[in-house]
Amino acid sequence: MKKTLGLASALGLGVIAAMGVALSHGSGDDDAAIDLVVNQPEGDVSREEGLAAWDRIFAVASHPRCANCHTDENNVPMWSGPSYGKTRPHGMNINAGMSRIGIESMPCTTCHTQSTKPNTIPHAPPHTGHVWMLAPVEFVWFGKDTQTICAQMRDPERNGGRDGAGLVEHILHDAEIKAFITWGFNPGGGREPAPGTMQDHLNDMVTWTAAGMPCPDPAG
Amino acid sequence: MQLIVNGETVDADVEEDMPLLWVLRDELNVKGPKYGCGIAQCGACTVHVDGMPVRSCSITAKQVEGAEVTTIEGLGTPDALHAVQEAWIDHQVAQCGYCQSGQIMSAAALLAIYPEPSDEQIDRALSANLCRCGTYPRIREAVKSAAAKLQGA
Amino acid sequence: MAGIGTIARRTFLVGSVAIAGGVAFGYYMVRKPHANPLLDDLAEGEATFNPWVKISSEGITLITPHTDLGQGAYSMQAALIAEELDLDFGQFEVSPGAPSAAYYNTALADEAAPFLSTDRGMQANMTRGAMGALFKILGAQISGGSTSVPDSFDKLRLAGAVARETLKKAAAAKAGVSIEDLQTRSGAVVLPDGDSIPYTDLAAAAAKVKPVKNVELRAPSEWRLIGKPMQRLDIVGKSTGTLPYGVDLEIDGMVHAAVKLNPRQGGALNSYDASAAEAMRGVIKVVPVTGGVAVVADNTWRAFQAANAIEFDWGPAPYPAEMDAHWETLSGAFKEDRLDKVWRDDGDVDAAIAAGDAVDAEYRAPYVAHAPLEPISALVRVDDNGAELWAGTQMPRFVQTNVAAIVGCEPEDVQLHNQYVGGSFGHRLEDEQIKCAAEVAKAMKGTPVKLTYSREEDFAHDFPRQIAMGKMKGVVEDGRVAAYDLSIAMPSVADSQLSRQPLDPPPGPDSQIAAGAWNLPYDLPHFRMSAYKAPPLAPISSWRSVGASSNGFFADAFLDELIHAAGADPLEERLRLMNNDVARKVLEAVGEMSGWGSAMEPNRGRGVAFIESFGVPCAEVVEVSATDAGVKIDKVFVAADVGRIVDPINFDNHVKGAVVWGLGHAMNCEITYSDGKAQQTNYHAHEGMRLYQCPEILVRGLENADRIRGIGEPPVPPAAPALANAIFAATGERIREMPFNKHIEFV
Repeated sequence: MKKTLGLASALGLGVIAAMGVALSHGSGDDDAAIDLVVNQPEGDVSREEGLAAWDRIFAVASHPRCANCHTDENNVPMWSGPSYGKTRPHGMNINAGMSRIGIESMPCTTCHTQSTKPNTIPHAPPHTGHVWMLAPVEFVWFGKDTQTICAQMRDPERNGGRDGAGLVEHILHDAEIKAFITWGFNPGGGREPAPGTMQDHLNDMVTWTAAGMPCPDPAG
Repeated sequence: MQLIVNGETVDADVEEDMPLLWVLRDELNVKGPKYGCGIAQCGACTVHVDGMPVRSCSITAKQVEGAEVTTIEGLGTPDALHAVQEAWIDHQVAQCGYCQSGQIMSAAALLAIYPEPSDEQIDRALSANLCRCGTYPRIREAVKSAAAKLQGA
Repeated sequence: MAGIGTIARRTFLVGSVAIAGGVAFGYYMVRKPHANPLLDDLAEGEATFNPWVKISSEGITLITPHTDLGQGAYSMQAALIAEELDLDFGQFEVSPGAPSAAYYNTALADEAAPFLSTDRGMQANMTRGAMGALFKILGAQISGGSTSVPDSFDKLRLAGAVARETLKKAAAAKAGVSIEDLQTRSGAVVLPDGDSIPYTDLAAAAAKVKPVKNVELRAPSEWRLIGKPMQRLDIVGKSTGTLPYGVDLEIDGMVHAAVKLNPRQGGALNSYDASAAEAMRGVIKVVPVTGGVAVVADNTWRAFQAANAIEFDWGPAPYPAEMDAHWETLSGAFKEDRLDKVWRDDGDVDAAIAAGDAVDAEYRAPYVAHAPLEPISALVRVDDNGAELWAGTQMPRFVQTNVAAIVGCEPEDVQLHNQYVGGSFGHRLEDEQIKCAAEVAKAMKGTPVKLTYSREEDFAHDFPRQIAMGKMKGVVEDGRVAAYDLSIAMPSVADSQLSRQPLDPPPGPDSQIAAGAWNLPYDLPHFRMSAYKAPPLAPISSWRSVGASSNGFFADAFLDELIHAAGADPLEERLRLMNNDVARKVLEAVGEMSGWGSAMEPNRGRGVAFIESFGVPCAEVVEVSATDAGVKIDKVFVAADVGRIVDPINFDNHVKGAVVWGLGHAMNCEITYSDGKAQQTNYHAHEGMRLYQCPEILVRGLENADRIRGIGEPPVPPAAPALANAIFAATGERIREMPFNKHIEFV
């Protein structure tokens, strides 16, 4: 694991735990759970089917709802949406720091609380069942092309140490705690959701991993 | 539900989705936290929850049940000022003053973790607190004075 | 009173100059002063010497009728009285007092008279006198136009001096000594033997003494307070969360209200369905009001939620639904039948432009919201006798009249308690929320109702700064600016604002269409400034520095274009053209402060601008860096001349705030309309400056001008052009439209 993740843990995770205690009271809300079904493919999955599934995964990963918080080592989340005209850095000089949770200056949780309640208010800071944070810096998606994101996602060194099954499990776990992927498909507050549904996304991940995680050839 | 506000345990009979801000202001008559935008764009409603800064307009009272909520009234009083408040007075930061409860709470939260914040940290920690009067130059000076006071203490 | 509306209509119809009649040549000589409102409920043993000072055996109250919007007006007013009355801070209470004609604003007349601030000729002074008389007759108690200091400076010192001398007279009688042998110090009269009698012990005796009229004001060399740093009276309260603003008030039996009004401002409410709202927890009543519906509940948030649950069918906007039509209207207003006034016509502009190689440009300034951080609110209780109301307002007597009309009582039966205001910038020169609260309270007779606008409602119903357009032409010759033809079109702010008040707009041209532009203190061989009054568009209001907020950008930035076209140095050429010594010193000061002319690194640049508004010459130099991510504002140097600085700390804070205001809105703020609705609903879309963008700001106050002026607004107009000029210097890009982030990024 890279140094930054180590630092993130050292700096951040203790605080995440502390903030979890502080801010997650009553957040085990009783909203209907997302029921996902893992549809294991029968027989082999072709590379073409896998690539087709990847294209849809890329459409999700590169969508602003997801990519805006998968940003590079500048640790700045992005904003986009109709009222901003174009994608721009998160307002208010927000910087999540190397901890990716903002503890170096102002924690993301100052505004983004931890709650599984639906997001309903336009332009309010969204919340999920996970403590708000930027994705680890190894998972940078913002502004990256399909080959780059694909290579990252299948690399355990850069995907949180996950194999194919781990990636599928990641989605299931996310749905269970209503974390960021779940939110991406139902961001609320008038935000444009990532394309497709959580179930579609799970199906695609199952298909892509079953196909051996093929990546598109570099363009040209 | 039961809340702990400025060290006191208080009861509030409110909906689960009522923001902490409105429980403080309209149910408990704690008026230091201000309503400015309702969507965490201005920071005037900032309080501390277990010592961490939180926009009370964007967290429900239910979410802080059992946690220690501190408002500007609990940070310090005119007779027993917190170092940040003292610095705010020394520098005469306030113009209209409406944002200053939130500015002070954000600054106090920063200084609690980083007693000697860099300019960059100050710019990052306090740029989500909007001041329409434009007292930013004095806010910067006051944060540094408060840091020095806390160091000396 | 006969009703401010009746008097106002009648008076204004007579015409401002016609009523001069030798009435008004300053406060002291007005023959029939307004009655002292403090006499109305004076208790036995209490003394009042004039409308600003009341003393009882319990304590001393100074009345500070200029509303404190955050500008420190209460402290400043108190200091002026305390200076002459020999009081120390801590020895008195301040109160805004009840609204009264006695508190009419004399200084507003200066800005309203269409003369250069430097014009001290007979006609200019006669007209100012006439305008002053008019404001007196109106009893126009208004806080605005950067006039709190100039209106108060002599008046309140005099009030303090009269009180002091009267107390001495009472003490002389009591102690059997001569007045000449008495001194005053720290709230007491000091006897020849060194003993002292506190003012509070003299109250009962002083109440029976005829106030001393013949008093002398102290020489500046004797001042203890004026000109020295003061600690504002509200600073501890504002630093501890203990100072209540209007929105914080809580009284027994009070209920909370929220409102939804047609987001197409002034449009009709066709129908609504509040059945869902009525069933919500805490909802007490749904009350239709003018242009919308209010919800009364037991908690502000519940009222907000319920108001959002009402379904509405709104009528169309009484102005163009889309922005294109607004700009087309402005563009089409530059024609003869819309010409309001040619304010300046030096030399022969037409001939000079025809003869030369003309440079031309079009400039734009958008609608901008006030959006002070405290949303507008009002607490009102209506009963059979009238109304009692608690709200922050800059025009208390208009509010009384307006509420009286709603409630159906006399204005004097509206008891108004003015409140601390969490920022205004002109927002509280409107009283829509107070009128609305009065309507709700009338439907809830006997119950105090606090109406709070949600931030979204505040944005939707702000009356923004005027939209404006400039069209300019100029000619340069031999490295100099030779001719400047400046035309500005905007709808009339006064017409729009007064349409909501019981007052007709004054006759004659609207000076705000030309403010900040016609009075450039430059000796240009050929200079013309023409003001065109565009038809009304979206409703607008006074926004910090009013006309000059757009015109300053137009006038100075295009001058900068001409100077660059001439190949001249921006500061040197302005200095060469400058025809006024007070203004020249201001410009020289920023040149010296900024080290103008010294080398800068590549991709950095500095711009200078000079604008006079509200009688205050103000110059600014802005330094920027052009980075890969965008433009960064590094430093700002400001110099202004207000004649006399009452409190150097407050002056410094004000100037910096005004610079932040001017720069922040120029950077990234506008209100645009689509489907007749303001598209910006909260601060995410109308951000202004944030702390990280705030440059270092260095301020110098000069005191060369012959009269004292206010500093709240004058640093705003030069900020935008200085920034545009700096961006041009750093990048070569000339931005002619606010907000600038339509063209470049800021970091």
